[in-house]
Amino acid sequence: MTEKVCIIGGATTPFDYGPTGFESIEGGAAECVKETMQDVPGFSLRDLDLIIYSHFSVHFGHQLAPEWIIHDHLGLVGLPHFRVENGGNTGGSALYAAALAVMSGHHDVVGIAGWETMDSVAQSQGSEFIAMASDIRYELMVGGIYPIYYAAMANKWMKENHVTEEDVARIAVKNKNNAMENPKAQWYRNEHKYITIDDVMNSRLISYPIKKYDCCLMSRGVAFLVVCSEKYAKKVNPDGYVTVDGMGLSSCTIRAGDRLNNPGWTERYGPGYPGMTEFAACRNSAEQAYKMAGITNPLKEIDFGEIHDAFSTSEAQIYKALGLADKQSIAQFLRDERTSMHGDIPMNPGGGLLGYGHPVGATGLMSIIECYYQLAGMIPKKHLNKKTVVPDAACGIVNSHAGTGTSISNFIIRRK
Amino acid sequence: MTQDIQMKKDTKHTKKKFADEPVFTIKKEYRPKDVRETGLAFVGHEISEDKSVMNQFLHYDQLYTIRHGLNSRFFIGLLDGKIMGTRCPKCGDAWVPVRTHCWNLDCTLSVTEWIEMPLLATVHTWTIAGWSGRSSLKRLPIVLVYAIVKGSKVAIANELHGVKPWDVEFEMPLKIVFKPKEERIGAVTDFHFEPADTWKPSPWNKEKERIKELVDPVYEWVKTLK
Repeated sequence: MTEKVCIIGGATTPFDYGPTGFESIEGGAAECVKETMQDVPGFSLRDLDLIIYSHFSVHFGHQLAPEWIIHDHLGLVGLPHFRVENGGNTGGSALYAAALAVMSGHHDVVGIAGWETMDSVAQSQGSEFIAMASDIRYELMVGGIYPIYYAAMANKWMKENHVTEEDVARIAVKNKNNAMENPKAQWYRNEHKYITIDDVMNSRLISYPIKKYDCCLMSRGVAFLVVCSEKYAKKVNPDGYVTVDGMGLSSCTIRAGDRLNNPGWTERYGPGYPGMTEFAACRNSAEQAYKMAGITNPLKEIDFGEIHDAFSTSEAQIYKALGLADKQSIAQFLRDERTSMHGDIPMNPGGGLLGYGHPVGATGLMSIIECYYQLAGMIPKKHLNKKTVVPDAACGIVNSHAGTGTSISNFIIRRK
Repeated sequence: MTQDIQMKKDTKHTKKKFADEPVFTIKKEYRPKDVRETGLAFVGHEISEDKSVMNQFLHYDQLYTIRHGLNSRFFIGLLDGKIMGTRCPKCGDAWVPVRTHCWNLDCTLSVTEWIEMPLLATVHTWTIAGWSGRSSLKRLPIVLVYAIVKGSKVAIANELHGVKPWDVEFEMPLKIVFKPKEERIGAVTDFHFEPADTWKPSPWNKEKERIKELVDPVYEWVKTLK
């Protein structure tokens, strides 16, 4: 019999870029733990029996095994630890690992700490560092960076699904404006303005059809959360814990061009899928998570989500991969603003990567934490007001996404 | 001493080899003058007015050796102006970028054979980059296509030259064009795509107008780069 997996609390540092006064990774982790302890006074670092570190690129810090610095600083000598690295899906993969540890019964209380320090190099160098997770022999060499790969995929996807630049711009507007209610969000902290579709359309070209405001932010940030058994959750936070009822993890090719005719996908979904347009690993991992959580109609049974909007275009592609819309309905789904705060399935009330920021190793954890706050009724306390509260939220989805869709995890999280 | 030598000989005799060790007879160096390994060096720092925060500037350059091993014939092919692909002898699937073992699980990782591919391709999808990594900024805007080299099951990314950015289109026929032999380095940048001689751009339309509106400022911005 497997143990039920719960989350009892967590916190992030403000996400930011450049000088802030709170840059050190071990200091940031300590502040996140302290905030978690303030929210959940029953939780103590002494209760942890495993900690998993979530960090993508040692290039940014120029420090191998930087988790050892954090671990040492938190005073956790003797506690087992290891690091998970899985591109943009590092945070989701760390939750997957923590959940497996708890489900197995081998561990009871597992901490996850994640971070990235992307402002240690120039923006364009940072883009190139991240792009080193693409195949450097074939893609990086031809001027490729992730926005370019995503743009090539989105361009074809948008044409095939009759989705316009304005349709996806709504997503950028939604997430950046949601972030304006969240003081830890990078968009709130830096650009600090509400935007319109015209602002997105007029922002500079990054790679057609993606413009600057369609893109997530490069960030510095740290996050921490606590994953545990239900027995422990009932002991320390009986009224404020949530349960991870479903989870899925899947994979796809490193080079997006290798998704044409791939026998692994043809076996599962038939010929022609996913091509270079659909996120098959998202569909596949969502199917696993839905099955585990007993979800048959995601649009009706899920109340909201915190999903990986590296680009406004990719959030739209993810809606389809999650089964919220199909080829016939996706354009209208976007135009009806179904995922805005006034829609029936709000996505990224916390601001997402477009608004909150994308310090890679901390990003998935931020999505989980925002989902937790929403389900635990903590948004009025954590955000500036109630504008980003999803009324009566009982079931959320968290999506974490890597490469060009190369590794993707999905989690169904429910209020106790 | 004699005993030591005898032992080494015996070890050599019984050592299992998995491949013949390569003997490199062609070696070229084309390192730009400003590229050098400096190792680790702190090159400066800054301290906040209230002396509570400090930043240090660390510089580090390192030479990497990309050992292409089993994939080498693709990159050697580029030097010769050829696109080398691979093909599974069991199922017949062929690829550029290459796979040295078949992707079909039923073929149980069968070792693929090398084939020379035609210098023809078709656009699968495309984008126009107005921003890129540090080393590519001055080449913007870049028309990047994922194109299927004739006979390949997959698409490969590379630049499309010889076309106005707003004229690129899905399914357009391409030819593969190599740099002059003396400029090739054995990397994918040795070639690019160009429209096939028979191709003609489609008439002006709203999307072309929109792309031009987005791309024109990129041309201006690049002029300002040092």
